[in-house]
Amino acid sequence: MKRSRRIALVMMGTSALALAACEERKTEAALFETVEQCVAEQGLVADQCYREFDAARAQHAQVAPKYTSQTDCEEDFGQGACETSSYRTTTGNSVFMPLMAGFMMGQMMGGRAHTQPLYRSRDDAKTFRTADNRPVGRTVGRTLVPERSVAKPSSKLYTQQRGGFGARARAAGYRVGA
Amino acid sequence: MERMSLPARRNWQQVAAEHGFTFHTPDGERYWDETHAYRFTLRQIEEDLENPAEELEQMCFSVVERAVADESVLERLAIPQRFWSYVAESWADGERNLYGRMDFCYDGAGPAKLLEYNADTPTALYESSIFQWVWLEQAMEQGILPAGVDQFNSLHERLVDALGHIGIDGVLHLACARDSEEDLGTVEYVEDCARQAGLATCRMFVEDIGLAGSGQFTDADDRPVAWLFKLYPWEWLMAEEFGDRIPGSGTRFIEPGWKAVLSNKGLMALLWEMFEGHPNLLPTFFQDDPGAAGLSGHHVRKPLLSREGANLRLVEDGRVVAETGGEYGEEGYVVQALAPLPSHAGRRPMCGVWLVASEAAGMGIREDDGMVTTDDACFVPHFILD
Repeated sequence: MKRSRRIALVMMGTSALALAACEERKTEAALFETVEQCVAEQGLVADQCYREFDAARAQHAQVAPKYTSQTDCEEDFGQGACETSSYRTTTGNSVFMPLMAGFMMGQMMGGRAHTQPLYRSRDDAKTFRTADNRPVGRTVGRTLVPERSVAKPSSKLYTQQRGGFGARARAAGYRVGA
Repeated sequence: MERMSLPARRNWQQVAAEHGFTFHTPDGERYWDETHAYRFTLRQIEEDLENPAEELEQMCFSVVERAVADESVLERLAIPQRFWSYVAESWADGERNLYGRMDFCYDGAGPAKLLEYNADTPTALYESSIFQWVWLEQAMEQGILPAGVDQFNSLHERLVDALGHIGIDGVLHLACARDSEEDLGTVEYVEDCARQAGLATCRMFVEDIGLAGSGQFTDADDRPVAWLFKLYPWEWLMAEEFGDRIPGSGTRFIEPGWKAVLSNKGLMALLWEMFEGHPNLLPTFFQDDPGAAGLSGHHVRKPLLSREGANLRLVEDGRVVAETGGEYGEEGYVVQALAPLPSHAGRRPMCGVWLVASEAAGMGIREDDGMVTTDDACFVPHFILD
């Protein structure tokens, strides 16, 4: 046979969308604003809580979204909710990022979630979000979170410039493919 | 090879919607056309198209070998000097290629002639791989075709397999330019294949690519772009504002930089120079080559870099018989002996043979009224029946 034995689409088309939605698996995690909340949680001890909090805290500077102006950062995260990061632009200016609003305890809870810092955006201030802007829940304590949302957060670089590609396509005014 | 009239499937538009084929009738003009199909014999497919395509691919590699060792070749291809070592290193490092489409003039008898190689940004991938496959299955089910017919089309299996073997660690970003539904269709399909290969993916537009202080490229959420499938031509990437930052970015591109040597019509002249007389090649010369004069009566003049059949000039009996508009040509031209596409009831098919990881993997036929296949061409499915 000269053709594929079978084909499948997991994202394109109506049938594929239904399939993708079914694949959303949940995993165990716990969300806290403070270490104290963690210690108060039944079944958890202070040692574990401090260790997990420190692990989340250590990632914060690297994975938090970055801004070149405090105003832009506060626009997204709310007044007083941003801090200066240890990053600098190449011209020496400050880089801003949101304050860490809490942390997610992952593997300790027996699930597949990665322990990481959490944030809250201005327009949806009740929801905890990961550094990759995935909502993970609203209540403090044990919970189930979408497995795809709680992988190790990605590092955020400070993007100095955008729009340096695409000019030819705009000029040509039609599609690129040949 | 025979062009046959066939009834369209009763429900094909619904099937298209179910399979995410959104661009079958762009701007109200028919693109997908299943009221006809081309029938081939297995021998025609294997001996005249499949095997030659793989042989030509190896010949193309010889051209790349020569180009990266001889800067005068890169210069002839109008590749900017600041990218010469980048292109050479991408080849020396063995950066993997994913796909390409060789366009042939073929009439069912005699050797297929390679017109050009879309080695960098070929489209019509989804309709070749998926919708043509579904058409064949359903045409057999609905009695439009007899049971047991086949198709030259293992694209889907090979794409999933190849994407899993490129060595991508981390997220694969996929980008095309904004505002083209058809390009987006190709990118969405490659993303779908990548997911099936177990990769994490992130789709974006080339306009949203950012540049970090570290020199790395970033996506719209400021994440570094480590692996980028780009449906955007190398010559444009190189010429644009961020172009000079590519070599230091650390981003691995698919297709890799060395494809810039092959996605250039100058390839056809270099192939002829190195493999003159090969049955699947047409005599082709750079315009300033003395050999070009020998083709003065019957030839087609093509810009080194152009897309969608733009800026072509066809000459028969010394007269210009067709010319297409466009903005290309400043880098120079090649002159290729004229191989008129065969006429089937006034329609002229061009056979696009797909290569995945350099292996022949399928075919898509596009059909136009004229001798030049433009973006008004229709996609017509094919089947194999001895």
